[in-house]
Amino acid sequence: MNRNLFLKEMRRNAFSLIIWMIVITILISLTMSVYRMFVENQSKIMGMMNLIPKGALQFKGISNFNDLFSVLGFYAVNNIIYMMVLGSIFAIVLSSNILLKEEYNKTAEYLLARPVTRSEIFVSKLVVLFLYVFLLNLVTALAGLICMELVKNEPFSIRAFLILSLYTLLLNLLFGAIGLFISTLVKRSKPVTTFSIGLVLICYFIYTVSKITESAAKIGYLSPFEFVNVDVINPAYRLEFLNLLYFTGISLLLVTISHRLYNRKDIYT
Amino acid sequence: MSAPVIDITDLTKFYGKARGIEHVSLEIGEGEIFGFIGPNGAGKSTTIRILLNLIFPTGGSARIMGMDVIRETKKIKRHVGYIPSDANAYASMDVNEFLSYCIRFYGKQKDNHRIAELSSLFELDLKRKIADLSMGNRKKVSIVQSLLHSPKLLIMDEPTTGLDPLMQANFFELLRSENLKGMTVFYSSHILSEVQMLCKRVAIIKEGKIIQLEDIETLRKKQLKKVFIEFGDHESKGNFSVPGIESVIAGPDNILSFMYSGDINELVGLLAGRKIVNLMIEEPSLEEIFMHYYQYNSQS
Repeated sequence: MNRNLFLKEMRRNAFSLIIWMIVITILISLTMSVYRMFVENQSKIMGMMNLIPKGALQFKGISNFNDLFSVLGFYAVNNIIYMMVLGSIFAIVLSSNILLKEEYNKTAEYLLARPVTRSEIFVSKLVVLFLYVFLLNLVTALAGLICMELVKNEPFSIRAFLILSLYTLLLNLLFGAIGLFISTLVKRSKPVTTFSIGLVLICYFIYTVSKITESAAKIGYLSPFEFVNVDVINPAYRLEFLNLLYFTGISLLLVTISHRLYNRKDIYT
Repeated sequence: MSAPVIDITDLTKFYGKARGIEHVSLEIGEGEIFGFIGPNGAGKSTTIRILLNLIFPTGGSARIMGMDVIRETKKIKRHVGYIPSDANAYASMDVNEFLSYCIRFYGKQKDNHRIAELSSLFELDLKRKIADLSMGNRKKVSIVQSLLHSPKLLIMDEPTTGLDPLMQANFFELLRSENLKGMTVFYSSHILSEVQMLCKRVAIIKEGKIIQLEDIETLRKKQLKKVFIEFGDHESKGNFSVPGIESVIAGPDNILSFMYSGDINELVGLLAGRKIVNLMIEEPSLEEIFMHYYQYNSQS
């Protein structure tokens, strides 16, 4: 790793990270602020929900409507959108640009003219990516935890919360690895932001369709969202070994391939 | 003789099926100011990008200071400065911040004296944001960053684009002074007058191939003469379609001009018996020599 490049990258993207942290924290806080009102109107809401096809809620990973009225269940359902989808968009946008930006901003010529190997460039930027995704997850999870503590009616499982947060981090990191991989495949220097965001949304769409359409259940396995267990109220809720293997295995594989591709890539500016 | 600073052997690069460079071989000695000339698309930037390991060759090899440009690129770059043709530095940084960032890669602390010396030479405002700089000022930043760590080899790709004549003069003066201290210069340009002014040796590249590699003086003295003749009577261009005569142009008032590369006595023999009003034989400029080689190679 090159310390100079690492510090520059940390500073370069700091503003964007702070904005994302603020936005997601505000969204989580606003959502959690209506939790008590949601619980107070439980019977009316249950009445309305009984009119909705069961599958329409199942896509959020909650098998039992009643789970939505526990503070952790309520947080988990909303966490899918805020941290899993938005966090993954943050991770893939950052990762797909972190190397490529040097090319389309034509600064790669300056960078690669320095006494620094491509591996050092790759690792420095990878560490920045990991730290940024980790910090975003840490801050927003803390915001979620504080919000839950403030609005809870009864205790909730910190263990389940931590497992959910770990799943979220792993999902975000996987999309980070996908973004990095995409950027090393791009031959000509142009941003791939739109494509990257689209990919996250398509994965989320596939996951949603697979949950609400029984006949399409299997296509859910095409989406990383499928491997996140959000059934936090279930007493048997735990970090599944195969899911953990899926996230870490694919992420490490993509990072390794991206590293090799970047080391042999022709850099055009 | 010491080992060449740049040693390129049979270097080839294809972009898919498109030609980049083909079988380029060059040796550049220590302390040389070497010119690399050719029009846009000839392969100059491709060669430089391989030397800097921005792109990988399809064939052949290149060494700088005896080290392989792919395997030992990090070691090489400790001693190399580079001025890219596009002077696009990090737009969000100010000049001072950018220069400090650049110098830290060499494990050096910011040398304020060196920065002040170079920036005052180019009248560079260190506090300005790079995004706010004009093309010329960005080029100055690019020049300064390339020399901050006192490199042994400076590679330049069209370095004067955007610089005003005064700054160009300062830049050439700086290059000469750094060269006197031992810095080798690889100067890629399509502006021949600059190459002529600075370089001792030159390679002409055309369509990816080196077509001429000469001392500038040898190139000039290669019996290539520019000939103007005003005839008393009409003379057809066809009368001068003989070996050694190239690029014949018929002007008004029975004037013919051409480049001549043969024995001057044979030319005198050819003109004997013709009515000549005026005859001028002069040394061609490097530009004319360059164009001659280009046309000659196209025809052959």
